[in-house]
Amino acid sequence: MTTAIAELKYQIYNRRLGLWLFMLSDSMVFLALLAARYYMQGTHRPPEVNQPLGLVLTSILLASSFFANRADASIAHGDRAAFLRHIGITIVLGVAFLILVVAVEWPEALHFAPPSTGYGTALFSLTGLHATHVLSGVIVLLFALLKGKRGGYTAEDHFGAEGSIIYWHFVDLVWVFIYPTLYLVG
Amino acid sequence: MEKAALLRVGVLVLVVLAVLTAVEYWVAVGGLGGATLTLLALLALAKAALIVDYFMHVGKLFQPESGGH
Amino acid sequence: MSVIKGLIFGLVGFAIGEGLAFLVGQDPFSDTAITLGYIFFLIGWLLGAGVWDHWARGWFGLKDKPTPTLASNGWMRYLMFSTDHKVIGVQYLVTFVALFLLAGLLAMVIRIQLLNPNGPLDPQTYNTVMSFHGIVMIAVAVATMIGGLGNYFVPLLIGAEDVAFPRINALSYWFVPPVAILLVIGSLLPGGFQSGWRVYAPWAERVGPSMLLFLMAFLTFGVSSILGGLNFLVTIIRLRAPGMTWGRLPIFVWGIFSAALLSLIFTQFVATALLMEILDRVVGMAFFAPDQGGGAVLYQHIFWVYSHPAVYVMILPGFGLMLEIITHFARKPLFGYKWAVGALLGIVGLSDIVWVHHMFTSGLPDFINAAFMTATELISIPTGLIFLCALGTIWQARMRLTTPMLFALGFVFNFAIGGLTGIFNADVPTDLHLHNTYWVVGHFHYTIMGGEIFALLAGMYYWFPKITGRMYNEALGKLHFWITFITFNLIFAPMMLTGLFGMNRHVAEYPPELGGINQFISLFSFVLGAGFLVFVYNMVTALVRGPKAVANPWQLRTLEWHTSSPPPEHNFHHLPQVLAHPYDYGVEGVPAHAVVAAGAAAAPASE
Ligand SMILES: [Cu+2]
Repeated sequence: MTTAIAELKYQIYNRRLGLWLFMLSDSMVFLALLAARYYMQGTHRPPEVNQPLGLVLTSILLASSFFANRADASIAHGDRAAFLRHIGITIVLGVAFLILVVAVEWPEALHFAPPSTGYGTALFSLTGLHATHVLSGVIVLLFALLKGKRGGYTAEDHFGAEGSIIYWHFVDLVWVFIYPTLYLVG
Repeated sequence: MEKAALLRVGVLVLVVLAVLTAVEYWVAVGGLGGATLTLLALLALAKAALIVDYFMHVGKLFQPESGGH
Repeated sequence: MSVIKGLIFGLVGFAIGEGLAFLVGQDPFSDTAITLGYIFFLIGWLLGAGVWDHWARGWFGLKDKPTPTLASNGWMRYLMFSTDHKVIGVQYLVTFVALFLLAGLLAMVIRIQLLNPNGPLDPQTYNTVMSFHGIVMIAVAVATMIGGLGNYFVPLLIGAEDVAFPRINALSYWFVPPVAILLVIGSLLPGGFQSGWRVYAPWAERVGPSMLLFLMAFLTFGVSSILGGLNFLVTIIRLRAPGMTWGRLPIFVWGIFSAALLSLIFTQFVATALLMEILDRVVGMAFFAPDQGGGAVLYQHIFWVYSHPAVYVMILPGFGLMLEIITHFARKPLFGYKWAVGALLGIVGLSDIVWVHHMFTSGLPDFINAAFMTATELISIPTGLIFLCALGTIWQARMRLTTPMLFALGFVFNFAIGGLTGIFNADVPTDLHLHNTYWVVGHFHYTIMGGEIFALLAGMYYWFPKITGRMYNEALGKLHFWITFITFNLIFAPMMLTGLFGMNRHVAEYPPELGGINQFISLFSFVLGAGFLVFVYNMVTALVRGPKAVANPWQLRTLEWHTSSPPPEHNFHHLPQVLAHPYDYGVEGVPAHAVVAAGAAAAPASE
């Protein structure tokens, strides 16, 4: 019995390490794109940038991370109902973020900074790549939600949930740097 | 950590993140009317450190034997 | 099996992508349609090849199907989605040796063209051949060592049952066939590959769909090697047998570890650079269009941030394997083991701050060039340490000059020349003259072919009995070595000379006065190419009717020789217990490197 638990912990740690290495690697893509923004445009920022929208997007993601963290703490203590509730809120916030980016931010930006301009290139590439990460994050959270509903997680064995939540925080983390780069600097 | 304590830390981190975000917004578009890259980078790094430490629990990476929570 | 199902699913995916593009009003041959088609092709291919059957079913609460192992399904297992690291290692080796021979044939085509100042090929075809040779050889150099030998032998050398993430391991192999498909189709399309393997913007953005296929192939290959790097890091950090401390890790494993670290972090930069070019083409972005607000040499920066470390992704496992083989056949402890490990890690640290040495002619300010020149020359310190370790090991040794040992010694000789000629490329004043000449081609081939490919050949002979359970013909192996070693030097040393005389690379023609020396080079190239027929003949006949190999034909200490040839399904019948350093040959009172016996290791696997 004890060796089974030791083996489980061993496996979970391997997967956690793998996930962190993946995020380390993935963040290099954003590092390159952020560097490209400053290389191409310095700190230039068109005056038409919608500041309240940027603040709202940031707030949504930060709030979603907060609820994801609550979901993580809940399942770690075997509280399945609270886990499902909080992961549900996280997913709703993530979808709201996506809708705002695709349906509000991009159509607006097309007017003052289309992709064929320097700032537009930075904006559409950074937000586009980030949005695909948000989308993939929502999808893995949905899988975690479904598995949690089936009773697939316990307090000891729930790396599927923990991993998708860590990945969701990573998506938020990337935005922490994209937001000032596109909206605030300059 | 106890669940209640974990949740309390979560609330505290959210509050600090919100304050830092407000400061960012204020120095860039509000009162100061233009922020330097350095200041914004420092604020972003502070936010990132909070997320990495308290939300992503990077510390678990340095405790291989503890496994789960 | 997996191949056919993957192709069918892939073609369905391609049709879906093209259909979506059609719905939004795109021409089927437009960049948008091809990109969408390829994305869905890739998803379909991976699902069909095995991701659905052996992996994704679990996400929907279904039961995954078992995958073939080294002991099942006959030779068909090599065409299937297997998660056994030994099957995957063989898949990598066979695929990339085939690609190596193909790209070698293309090198022969290049040398036929350069027999005369005005060869038979038109410039565009020549450039396609040259680019194809370049990218395939880059892929071979990156993946054969890590994906092939690394996959097969890292778990064995550290006493593990498999890698940390077997399914991701399989996934990274199954990314490779689409790369080959794209490259073959792209080279046949009108326009071909005109830009060389570096695909510099803006030219790579202005040639038809053929160039787009090249970009997507390169990007796909990048994803594959990132996943491979991740897997090796976790495997080496976590799956070492009891007693296998960092200080007892075989030096080849250290080489793979360093290369995996570079691959994990830096491959993303080339992926981003290629993605930017694809975005420029498909979405009309302006990354590399300075007139629209983009950056003129931005592509070069991001590309070389990866592609300088990439040469270390190729050569560090080569360093490791060379030291490994030299130590075993010198039958002496590895001289300065800790310095060798430090040198490998030092190269990892330095290799990310030297990329501008590829851009000395692109007009950057002097103080930047000077800084990168200094950083580049610092790399000769760790590289020199590795040399000293090799020389210290063969010093006064009674060497066993087997075929792998000969190739390893050839590596030391060739890489010394490659390293010394590199100094002139690292120095700004000399590089301004040497840039884009055949000097660079010669230097590069001395390091990568004379170094890494020699190490690779050494490794293939060295581990041939372990992989196949049969022995190759030693006389033919030595013949192959001497042909390769002599012709190699007769080709690439004169090639550097042509560069000094001003012969430009990437050009189908050259000044008539260089005709004689080029004919000399071409002649020996054909001999070099023919030498590989000996290699293929030796490998194939040994595989079919070579004498059976015993578990440890050379009486060596490391763990892979402590199990049968080929190893059983989970590598060892008992958990190995590592007791001592792997290379302590002839040292008084030192126990065996490891014991593999029932009850030898009381500690659980997780310790
Ligand atoms: Cu370089």
